[in-house]
Amino acid sequence: MIMPKPPVRGEQSLKKSVYLSVVTVSLVFGLLIAFQFRTSSSISGGVPVDRFQELTIEKKQVELDNAHLEQEATDLAAKIDEARKGRSQASDVLGSELSKIRMYAGLTQLTGPGVEVIMENPPEKDGSPSFYSIRDEDILKVINDLRGAGAEAMSINGQRILSTSEIRLAGNHINVNLVRLSAPYRILAIGKPGTLKSSLEIKGGLVEYLSANGITVAVQEWEKINIPAYDGSLRFDYAKPVQRG
Amino acid sequence: MVKGFQWALALVGLVLGIMLAFQFRVTKEINKTEPIQRAQRVSAEVSQLKKDRDSLQARVGELRATLDQLPAGPRDSELKEELDMARVLAGVTELSGPGVEVTLNDSNISLKPGDNPNLYVLHDEDVLRVLNEIRAAGAEAISINGQRLLSNTEIRCTGPTIVLNKNKRLAPPYVITAIGNPDTLEGSIKMKGGVAETLQFWGIQVGVKKIPQVTVPPYSGGISFDYAKAAG
Repeated sequence: MIMPKPPVRGEQSLKKSVYLSVVTVSLVFGLLIAFQFRTSSSISGGVPVDRFQELTIEKKQVELDNAHLEQEATDLAAKIDEARKGRSQASDVLGSELSKIRMYAGLTQLTGPGVEVIMENPPEKDGSPSFYSIRDEDILKVINDLRGAGAEAMSINGQRILSTSEIRLAGNHINVNLVRLSAPYRILAIGKPGTLKSSLEIKGGLVEYLSANGITVAVQEWEKINIPAYDGSLRFDYAKPVQRG
Repeated sequence: MVKGFQWALALVGLVLGIMLAFQFRVTKEINKTEPIQRAQRVSAEVSQLKKDRDSLQARVGELRATLDQLPAGPRDSELKEELDMARVLAGVTELSGPGVEVTLNDSNISLKPGDNPNLYVLHDEDVLRVLNEIRAAGAEAISINGQRLLSNTEIRCTGPTIVLNKNKRLAPPYVITAIGNPDTLEGSIKMKGGVAETLQFWGIQVGVKKIPQVTVPPYSGGISFDYAKAAG
C-alpha cells in the first residue's frame, strides 16, 4: 500500500513537466507563426510605391495651402496695421477686404482664360422630341469635371455657380440659383484652358458619353472670358459665424 | 525514455531559437526597406505640414476677428454686415446653426456570385446628387467629413475613397453636414422617389438626422486664383 506510491508520484511530476514544456513550446511557436503571418501580409499589402506617390502629391498640396494661408495672414496683418492709423483708413481697409472676399464668394465679375462648353439637345426627328434630353445630372458631371481640372469660377447661361448653387431638373428646364434655364446650355469656366478642355474630351470621358446619347457638346478654348457676378438676392437665415475667444 | 525526450526538447529549443533569430532579422529588414523608409519620412513631413496648416488657419481666423473688431464709423457697420455675408458664401469662416447630418455608407447587402460589386458601392455621382438636393433645399453652408464645400469643390471617386478640394482624401462613412432649415433639408433627401430611395435600392445606407445646432468648418487652406482676375 505504501510502496507503490513514490514511483507513481515521480512519474506524475515528470509527466507534468513534459506537459508544461510542450505547452510553452507550442505557445511560443503559435506566437511566432502569428508574427510571421502579420509581417508577410504587411509586406504584400504595403506596396509603398503608389502610396509614396499619393503622399508626395498630398505634401505638395498642403505646402501650397500653407503658402496661400501665409499670404492671407500677411495681407490681413498689413490691413490691421493700416486700419489702426485712423477711422478713414479703417473703412478703406474694410472695403478692400470686402472686395477680396466678394471675389472668392462669386459676387464679382471675373475675367481670365478658360473654356466655353455648349451642350445641346439632340435635334427633333419628324417633329417629335428626342428620347434623350440633357438632364441635370449631365450638367452636374460636366461642372464637377471642370472643377476637378482646376476651374476657378463658372457660370451656366449667365448664372454664376456659387457654393450654394443647385442644378436641378424642373420639367423641361433646369434651375440654377432658382432661375429657370433652357437648352442650349452654355457653361463658362475660368482656369487653364488646355486642362479644362482635355478633362472633358479625355477618352471615355463626358464628351464621349454625352455624344453617345445624341447630345452635342462643343468645347472651345478662349484666351479671355468674362464670368458674371451672382446678381440674385443674398439671405442667410440659419448660418451664423462662430465667435472664438 | 527520459533521455530521448531531453534530446527532442533540446532539438526543438534549437530550432525555435533559430526561427526567433530569423524572425527578428526579417522584421528589422522590412522596416529598413528603402521605399518604406521613404514613405515614412514623407508621411511625417505631411503630418508636420498639416499641423502648420492648422495653426496658420487659426492665425488667419484670429486676424480676421481682430480686423472686424477695429473701431469703425457708422457706415462701416453696413460694410461689416456685407462682409459677413460674403464670407459665408466664400467659405472662409466657421459657421453654426440648425441643420442636418446626412450619413452615406457603402452597401450592406451581401453579394450573390455574379453580382457586380461596383453597383453596390457609393459613387461620386451619388454624393454629387445628394449634395445637389441639399443645395436645392436651401442649404447655406455644407461640409463633408470636415471639408467645407466651395463653389469649385470637386468630388472624385478613387477606389474606396473620395477626393475633394484638391487632393483631400476622405474615407467612408461620409458625413455631410449642412446648415439650413432642418425640415426642408431632411425632406429633400427623404422625399418619395428621391435620392435616398434610389440609393437604398442598391443597399447604400443613407441616414438623415435633424440637429438643432451643427458646426461647419472653414475651408482648410488658402483661397487663391491663378487665372481669374476681377473684371473692370
